[in-house]
Amino acid sequence: MFKKRFFLPILVMFFVACDKNDDQPQNTPVSIDFSHSFNQQEIDSSNFNALDYTNGFGTTLSITRLRYLVSQISFTNQQGIKTIVKDYQLVDLSQDNSLAINDILLPPGAYNLKMRFGFTEATNTSSIYPDLNAASWNVPDMLGGGYHYMQLEGRFLDPTNEPFIYAYHTISAVQNPGPENTREDTSIEIDLGEITVTQDATQINVTMDINQWFENPNLWDLNILNGMLMGNYTAQKMMQENGQTVFSLETNTGD
Amino acid sequence: MFKKIPLVFCLLCITLSCGEDDNQNQGYSPTPVNIAIPAIFSQLLPAPEIPANNPLTEEGVALGRALFYEKNLSADNTLSCAGCHRPNEGFSDQRRYSVGIDGIAGFRNSMPLVNIAWNTNNKFNWDGSADSLEEQVLEPVVNEIEMHNTWPNVEQTLQSDPNYLTKFEQAFGTTTISKDLIAKALAQFIRTLVSGNAKFDNYLLGQATLTPLEQQGLAVFLDENRGDCFHCHGSPSNPLWTDNDFHNNGLDENFTDLGLGDITGDPAQFGLFKSPSLRNLAYTAPYMHDGRFQTLDQVIDHYSEGLIFSPTIDPLMKTVAQGGVQLTPQDKAALKAFLLSLSDPSLANNPAYQNPN
Repeated sequence: MFKKRFFLPILVMFFVACDKNDDQPQNTPVSIDFSHSFNQQEIDSSNFNALDYTNGFGTTLSITRLRYLVSQISFTNQQGIKTIVKDYQLVDLSQDNSLAINDILLPPGAYNLKMRFGFTEATNTSSIYPDLNAASWNVPDMLGGGYHYMQLEGRFLDPTNEPFIYAYHTISAVQNPGPENTREDTSIEIDLGEITVTQDATQINVTMDINQWFENPNLWDLNILNGMLMGNYTAQKMMQENGQTVFSLETNTGD
Repeated sequence: MFKKIPLVFCLLCITLSCGEDDNQNQGYSPTPVNIAIPAIFSQLLPAPEIPANNPLTEEGVALGRALFYEKNLSADNTLSCAGCHRPNEGFSDQRRYSVGIDGIAGFRNSMPLVNIAWNTNNKFNWDGSADSLEEQVLEPVVNEIEMHNTWPNVEQTLQSDPNYLTKFEQAFGTTTISKDLIAKALAQFIRTLVSGNAKFDNYLLGQATLTPLEQQGLAVFLDENRGDCFHCHGSPSNPLWTDNDFHNNGLDENFTDLGLGDITGDPAQFGLFKSPSLRNLAYTAPYMHDGRFQTLDQVIDHYSEGLIFSPTIDPLMKTVAQGGVQLTPQDKAALKAFLLSLSDPSLANNPAYQNPN
């Protein structure tokens, strides 16, 4: 008799708890993978150093390093509620564990996916991100401070077909490099459009077409603009313009 | 009666498993210890990454320290780790090439052993040949031109020393000495070798003032059109003063030492070597992987006028076509003054790093 008195309330509590859960949509796993291509040719670190690519200007080039930062990775549902799933991610093609964000949980539904290439002015404060400091991702204060947006490096063939080097680094555009510099936010909002999170695992693939950095709308002549670009305000503005179209979206939903 | 059988069986299993290793002290309890993190590191860097299978303990660090200065690690009992990683030389060696027990010199300059706990990419040595610190410390003991010993001999030697039996039992709960435990203890001690008390550290903390020349040198260091040093060698935001990555910094047109490429076999990595930290340059001459430059002036001259193009030259050597960044004599003097402000005079005399044997 006494045993039943204890058992009954527990049973009731169990069903009440189950009822509550039934009202809530279950979160499902979502992952974002970062992939890279050059005019439809897929690129990963195994393709580094090969002079296999021709940019919009007609220059043959290779890639030896590609790191970039995306921030404010957000999903906005149809009610307009925005969820930032990660403050920032440093994508480094030489580090496999940087090429995906795997720990996202969201209720199924339709979302708009956005992220930002680089940091906004408000979040691009010197020295405040320890992991990025250790990665030497900083920009010296005399060049505006804060952090790099991208380091794209490699070699290209000059007009005499001799190999030369380039370092295409994007940061906040800065005028008057030095102690009295003025900085301009050249980060780029990336609106990747609508995605559907299903009841199964959802994999989202964000692709960077590297050639867009050299082509659209500004044809990029590496013979002229191959280095010392951080303090070059005009070059940084051109990079910002070219960066508008480099990212696109593919979605795979689990079966 | 039948209920007792499983209980007896379990007790028997526990008793048997305890008896498998007579030297294993199940009750040992070493004292956890943390690395002494400099204030500026706490502000700017992530916490160091300590392997889960080799946490730092007071007893483990003490054992590692004894082993670091232990000449019996070498075949003829004459050379310890500290013989080539000298505390008063920034845990490096001011000889261009360290000399092993047979009088044979190596072919690379000894790498400094400070702030290794922040080497988060887990590539060690000039050529990245070791994937962990525990792996790195194994090699010099058996290297034919360094300690030229064998691990069975080292284990046997230490096993016959009652002091080490006690130290291993305190650190790892066993008196069975193995190369893996030796490596763990050495790695624990080396992770405690921290340098973060240079004048520039204190400047960042507001506790020191740079001279005008040092300030000019910092500006040269951070100027993409002059020194452009910060991409590979850190900045006031990265007080490790290294990116812990591998680069061809324009030393040679043809390579006699392939560096990282010798390990990976990838021709695109021929001539790449790990960026060393710029800390303690006052004590760590000569410079570069092969110690070719005796002075800081020679190093600065190299980056200013001496860069040489080769197929694997790092794209960050942006001025290689001009031979370098073309610093003025004033810029060179200033850069040198700044670089020397990164040296930590308290390192060599830190009581925790001295020879306990």
